[in-house]
Amino acid sequence: MTDLLDDPTVDDFATTSKDRLADALRDRQDAQARGRFAWLRDLLRTPGLLIAAAWIAVVLLAAFAPSLLAPGDPLVGVPADKLQGPSSAHWFGTDQLGRDLYTRVVHGTHLTLEAALVAVGVGLLVGAVVGLLAGFVGGVFDDVVMRIVDVLLSIPALLLSLALITALGFGTVKVAVAVGLASVATVSRIMRSEVLRVRSSVYVEAAHAGGSRWWSVLFQHVLPNASGPVVVLAALQLGTAILAVSALSFLGFGAPPPAPEWGALVSGGRDYLRTSWWLTTLPGLTIALTVLAAGRISRAIDRQEGNVL
Amino acid sequence: MSVRRPSRRHAVLLAGIATTALLLAACSSGSDAASDGSSSSASQAADTPVDGGDLTFAIGNDPISLNPSGIGSGNDTLYVTRQIVDSLLWQDPADGSLKPWLATTWEANADATEFTFTLRDGVTFSDGTPFTADSVKKTFDDAVAAGAKSSAAPNFTGYVGTTAVGPLTVKVAFKAPNAAFPQATSAVALGIVADSTLAIPFDDRASGTGVVGTGPFTLDHYTKDTETVLKARPEYAWGPDGRTNTGNAHLDSVTFQVIPEAGVRTGALTSDQVNVIGGVQPTDIATLKDSGFDLVSRANPGITFGLTFNEAGALGSDPAVREAIALTVNPTEVRDTALNDGFAVAEGPLASTTPGVADVSKDIVTDPKKAASVLEKAGWAKGSDGIYAKDGKPLAPVLVWITNFSPNQTSVELIQQELKANGIDAQLWSGTVPDFQAKLKDGSFDLVWGNLSRADGDVLRTQYSTAATNFYKIADPDLETLLQKQLTIGDATERNAVLADAQERLVTQHHVVPVHELTTFLGLNSDVHDVQLGADSRLDQLTQAWIGS
Repeated sequence: MTDLLDDPTVDDFATTSKDRLADALRDRQDAQARGRFAWLRDLLRTPGLLIAAAWIAVVLLAAFAPSLLAPGDPLVGVPADKLQGPSSAHWFGTDQLGRDLYTRVVHGTHLTLEAALVAVGVGLLVGAVVGLLAGFVGGVFDDVVMRIVDVLLSIPALLLSLALITALGFGTVKVAVAVGLASVATVSRIMRSEVLRVRSSVYVEAAHAGGSRWWSVLFQHVLPNASGPVVVLAALQLGTAILAVSALSFLGFGAPPPAPEWGALVSGGRDYLRTSWWLTTLPGLTIALTVLAAGRISRAIDRQEGNVL
Repeated sequence: MSVRRPSRRHAVLLAGIATTALLLAACSSGSDAASDGSSSSASQAADTPVDGGDLTFAIGNDPISLNPSGIGSGNDTLYVTRQIVDSLLWQDPADGSLKPWLATTWEANADATEFTFTLRDGVTFSDGTPFTADSVKKTFDDAVAAGAKSSAAPNFTGYVGTTAVGPLTVKVAFKAPNAAFPQATSAVALGIVADSTLAIPFDDRASGTGVVGTGPFTLDHYTKDTETVLKARPEYAWGPDGRTNTGNAHLDSVTFQVIPEAGVRTGALTSDQVNVIGGVQPTDIATLKDSGFDLVSRANPGITFGLTFNEAGALGSDPAVREAIALTVNPTEVRDTALNDGFAVAEGPLASTTPGVADVSKDIVTDPKKAASVLEKAGWAKGSDGIYAKDGKPLAPVLVWITNFSPNQTSVELIQQELKANGIDAQLWSGTVPDFQAKLKDGSFDLVWGNLSRADGDVLRTQYSTAATNFYKIADPDLETLLQKQLTIGDATERNAVLADAQERLVTQHHVVPVHELTTFLGLNSDVHDVQLGADSRLDQLTQAWIGS
């Protein structure tokens, strides 16, 4: 029970003496330093994680400064150089219009990653609010909201995204919103269960007893302590979101051509599968590696969070 | 699983029986040959059609409707329904001329409003009922009554009625001239069906059950999204004279299998799982040729792939913009990049296989420098971003297209690139077929990329006349006169001269920018012979097709 009493966010806990508070703070700082050090050591000890982190770093660089990695124009090709295999001049080969595929993949990162981040943001925000309110308010409200969430969970996420995109229309942002809304159910479920766990802990009861208003309890005690697993989920959702966004853009719901979204690149190479393998394989590998890397990192954060909690 | 087990046992049993039967057949034929003392059958096999066998034909789309006059999924539907129904006339793929089929003779009155057909005697429907003038009247009346549900209805504009003048003579009358009608009768949509079929409500005929025609094949069964199996009719004997086999089909049956993905269809052919594939992708043509497969191809008649303007819009109504875009698009480069030599660069608005086509390629010029001077003369000036603008508005036409032909995306992206290099910032828009059609109807586009297959020059009128669908709002009275006039001329030579003037006007006034022809390719296993495409470049009836050993 002392663990539960030791709310890291509480700094005005009346029953703790000043000495004990100072001890607790020192202990926490030590634990944090050990944690940081362990995390770094883990990183060096697990080359898989290191590669994943390096890959995500490259992807982020490609998303925010594509011209550093590929200075060419992704939309202009030389028809005479069409469908050339990977070479030193064209690392990923050229497509049916003679455009450099590497340049297109790099410049497509921005669109794809932006969509994935918006998707995760939408899912996280809406899901967290729904889960937080359901868990904190409880009662009939909780019952009603959670039954709706149950129904949403029974629909496969991609199918739900497809239904939403049909209603919303085509475009990168709309795809992102559709993917994000499809993940609301999962996020809200986890948020609610965390809120329920935290809500019954002693420091929350103590805060209530101490006369704190409900919103202050919600935002100062419940939210910060319940958000850990949701943050992990967000990292994991990033990978899933990239996959879902690419799937929808593969199906032609994303940005109109010639925008080089990753899914659209895979789709564009489909007709040339027998003659030009690189058109589908290399963008496909890029998507796969990014999703795997995001998954690997989220697992590492998950472990780290598990240690702290 | 408990349900599947016995069926598998049955299959093994059946396979056993079949193998035994085949062995017996082989033994008996062997003994026949021995007793004849002849050994020439092997050398003859190469060019003498062999009777029997099941032809497996992979198509990309489910037929959706097996009602010949229903609206299905386009070509793939017509590949199947063509086998079930015959038409009054047959259009010869060799020269596009009309030949007798279910009608032995036909004539039009002077102003092309009345058409009289004399029908062939002795033709029967597959349910045994005779084919008469009444069958024709009922089929045509039914198509008109079905209205928009029927793909035949557009050919009956101004329909007055069909009269059975005698048991084998029928007269079709129209309020206004319809010189294109005899050609229209050769289409599957106007194929003649039996009275029993017409008794079924129009929508219910889509399943194919009860659809009875006079064709060389009858429906055995249809499984949606999987296969359509047709059986040959042994008593069929009224194929058009232009075919090498006017009698019943060499094949016993035909199975149309649905394989949606083009690459998978090609794979199914190369791995010997099917005999013939439709919708061969341009990128697979070379691969198939190199691996020893036969390709049957024919350029599609009708309007060639190209750009058409929305002349109700601010950009499309500006002749300078139209001319500049026409001068900038390079048809040869588009053909070479998106397609290959199997597809011809367009010589005009109509494809070379269309009856009434005229070669207006001298008026299709690519000259970006001239395009720049045309725009500058009309008051357009290049901004700092390299894009032309006038009165503060950039020259950024919205180009709409759909993926009904897979190289379309490459074509429009290349055209966008060509235009952009010359200061025209085309915006691409694509969507679902209903969205695309809605856009055409409400006019929220500047340019549209597309084609339209039909084996008659009248397609120009249905596409470009302001009195027809009128998506493009072409305000050109001279053109309109020509398009209406061709419909009133029964004489082919005179009519073609008018059609030629219309094609020239379409190109010289830059109403259209023709780019390339569409070619239909079928991929054939080398054992399969004499599969032919009709004058509409769709699969003709498979009576002469046969499978060698």
